[in-house]
Amino acid sequence: MSFNLFKAARAFTAVASFSVVASLGSPVVAETAWKPSGPVNVVMHTKPGGTADIFIRTLAQSLEPMIGQPIVVVNAPGAGGATQMAHVSQAKPDGVTIGINTMSHFTSMLTNLKGTFSVDDFSWIASTQEDPIIYFVRTDSEIKSLSDLVAKAKASSGTINIGGFGPVGSMQHLGTAMLESAAGVKFNWVGFDSTPDIMTALLGGHVDVGVSNLGPTAPFFESKRIIGLGVLGEKRLNGLPDVPTFGEQGYKVDTSWVQVRGVFGPKDMPLELQQQIADAIHEAMKAKTYQDYARSTGVIDSWMGPKEYDAFVRDVSKIATKQLEAAGLLQ
Amino acid sequence: MIENLLSGFSAFGDPLVWLSLVFGSLVGYLIGAIPGLGPSLGVALLIPFTYGLDPVVSIVGLVALYAAAEYGGAITAILINSPGTSAAVATAWDGYPLSQQGKAGEALLVSIVTSGIGIFISALFLLFTAVPLSEFALRFGPGEYFALALVGLSLVVGLAEGSVVKGAVAMGIGLALATVGLDTQTGTPRFAASVELFEGLPLVPVLLGLYALSEVLFLVEEGVTAKIKSAPLGGWRTWNWKGLWSLNGVVFRSSVLGYIIGIIPGAGASIASFIAYAVAKKTSKTPERFGKGSIEGVAASEAANNAAVSGAMAPLLALGIPGSPTTAVMIGALMIQGIQPGPLLFSRNPEIPYTIFASLWIGVPVMVFIGLAGARAWAHVANIPGPAIAAIVAGISLVGAYASEGTMFPVYVMTAFGILGYLLRKVQVPLAPIILALVLGEMMETNFRRALITSHGSLEIFYTSPLTVALLLTAILAFALPAVGFIRKRRRAAMAADPSV
Repeated sequence: MSFNLFKAARAFTAVASFSVVASLGSPVVAETAWKPSGPVNVVMHTKPGGTADIFIRTLAQSLEPMIGQPIVVVNAPGAGGATQMAHVSQAKPDGVTIGINTMSHFTSMLTNLKGTFSVDDFSWIASTQEDPIIYFVRTDSEIKSLSDLVAKAKASSGTINIGGFGPVGSMQHLGTAMLESAAGVKFNWVGFDSTPDIMTALLGGHVDVGVSNLGPTAPFFESKRIIGLGVLGEKRLNGLPDVPTFGEQGYKVDTSWVQVRGVFGPKDMPLELQQQIADAIHEAMKAKTYQDYARSTGVIDSWMGPKEYDAFVRDVSKIATKQLEAAGLLQ
Repeated sequence: MIENLLSGFSAFGDPLVWLSLVFGSLVGYLIGAIPGLGPSLGVALLIPFTYGLDPVVSIVGLVALYAAAEYGGAITAILINSPGTSAAVATAWDGYPLSQQGKAGEALLVSIVTSGIGIFISALFLLFTAVPLSEFALRFGPGEYFALALVGLSLVVGLAEGSVVKGAVAMGIGLALATVGLDTQTGTPRFAASVELFEGLPLVPVLLGLYALSEVLFLVEEGVTAKIKSAPLGGWRTWNWKGLWSLNGVVFRSSVLGYIIGIIPGAGASIASFIAYAVAKKTSKTPERFGKGSIEGVAASEAANNAAVSGAMAPLLALGIPGSPTTAVMIGALMIQGIQPGPLLFSRNPEIPYTIFASLWIGVPVMVFIGLAGARAWAHVANIPGPAIAAIVAGISLVGAYASEGTMFPVYVMTAFGILGYLLRKVQVPLAPIILALVLGEMMETNFRRALITSHGSLEIFYTSPLTVALLLTAILAFALPAVGFIRKRRRAAMAADPSV
């Protein structure tokens, strides 16, 4: 609950904005057509410190001087992103309040938020990142590969605990369900509210296998506290060249099921404004600070604008429906 | 290590580092003092200012802000019974009664000095124990978190003044309120009639309503009463040094407790101050004064919530796992600077952890100086006549509630809880258990259910881990002992009334 305090940032940005803009001086910045009327609130569905949170805080560095307004990160965590979506859906469609969405948004609108929110309640503005999920264990685990995991799961009939982000039906849970059906086994899903919580539980031995994107786990791979079992994606990750994909290990899953990070806003946002926001964000992604960060965390840049992203969102919702039906989560 | 530590201190050869420290402390002090704002917000607000700075310069400012903001909450807690954060609630329990007795200056003096000592002691522990204790904290799984939350809740019984039954009623109200919002495991709305309630009841407006606004209603009801004559805070020669020194035991115990509880990711400053307060009451020679203006109570709460700052730093430095919401924001700040907090931080960027140690220590005198200078001015607030103070507190509460989310919804929540707090105090139902249960309820429920998921529905998880068992036994004892005393007292009273029994 204490994270709500971030919302108070708005009350103070008036002061902060002048100093931020002034302190950045006059380096040559690209002109963007997007000129928000005030500080831009970017509403997050996660606690501070998570992958998506660091993404927007880094992007803000190059985006702020371009649009001439500060970016205020508003953390509104809550099951399945409903808290954040409520925040975004109630905002005026003027671009001053936008949100960051991930794959979980599409899955939750089909499950626990069905009837509360739908794809049509929002404007899908731009995609920014693709980020495959990886499965990992503690270095001292008996499990060393996906085949070990599957063998162990077969022997222990569904008692292997896999800890990941979100409740049953979340993006990471559905990825796990895809592995279950490809391998013909069952795992026990343990949902957490943040990636640091997953790392704590995995390192402490409270869950057997962890799920995350590469970013937050990189230091643990480097210090050899954890080893990777597999990447749910088309090819191996540049940042983790030794960890094979699911497909390489013989488990056929839909490799389009990667984490996506994009920008969305309240519905009825003019298409022209959406395009301006998308262009500004994509321009800011080309800055060196952002590129350094993106390469070090192993994410893949994604450049869809409002039209393509909206079509993508509808497509992926269809795939998600299929996955949820296959996992028996849709009545 | 000595070499690295010296290099940490040597960072302070740069005047920019000093500037960052003083600026961070001042901003933190003010942000902490405004109900509705707090350390994690303060750190997030400061991050944009750190973009162009050296990582060492920025981390010094952020750490100073965190520590000072954790202290700042004590000021309004003591003066106007408005704890701006849940970590300062325990400070208000004794700080405000002291203020009403004309001892606002003394309470503020004790709060800032013990806060400083809390940081100083815990920073020393941090230097030597950050790595091993953080590894130990990893043993806290869902079962342990549930048991820890239960320990926190069991303290309710010890804190409830007078009637155990009324304490239990208050706890029940708090637990019931904690269930409002989206279910953390399935995302189903519970008692959430509108989307604003999806997140659960917002804590800050509830705190402001229950404590500050209900106080306003009482002030209005009393009308113009005898003016409090607050003793001004004199120069250091006039301070009660003997009295301060006699707090050494309480402060040391609370600092250690605060540090250890702060290390456990997800526990944090408010649980630390609650537990330290309860322990201080149990070990005090004058437990009856707790809740009525005990200097020891203020010292315990403040030493613990500031020691929790160092505690929260431990898993951040040792493992790259945030120990509190504020350190989570700090991880973001470090990553933006291109520094990856994690198990390799000590070997790869030793300047960061050792600068943090150094800035915690060097920050203490700076923070205490700012605090003392402020205390002299603040102490006069207690002299403002009742009607005027009622208007000021009502204003602060309204603005604080609004600022906490930037919408009107928390203002309505604050008003509703102000009326509820007033009614409950009229019938002598204590407010502390409501807050405690509201803060701990969600942690308890989520982890209970998560524990049962990991154990595949078996209750075994609650009695096979020695840590869980120890915590659960502590909780049971803390629940049972006062209840036994209560039953005995009743039986004795019954016997006295009826000699035939």
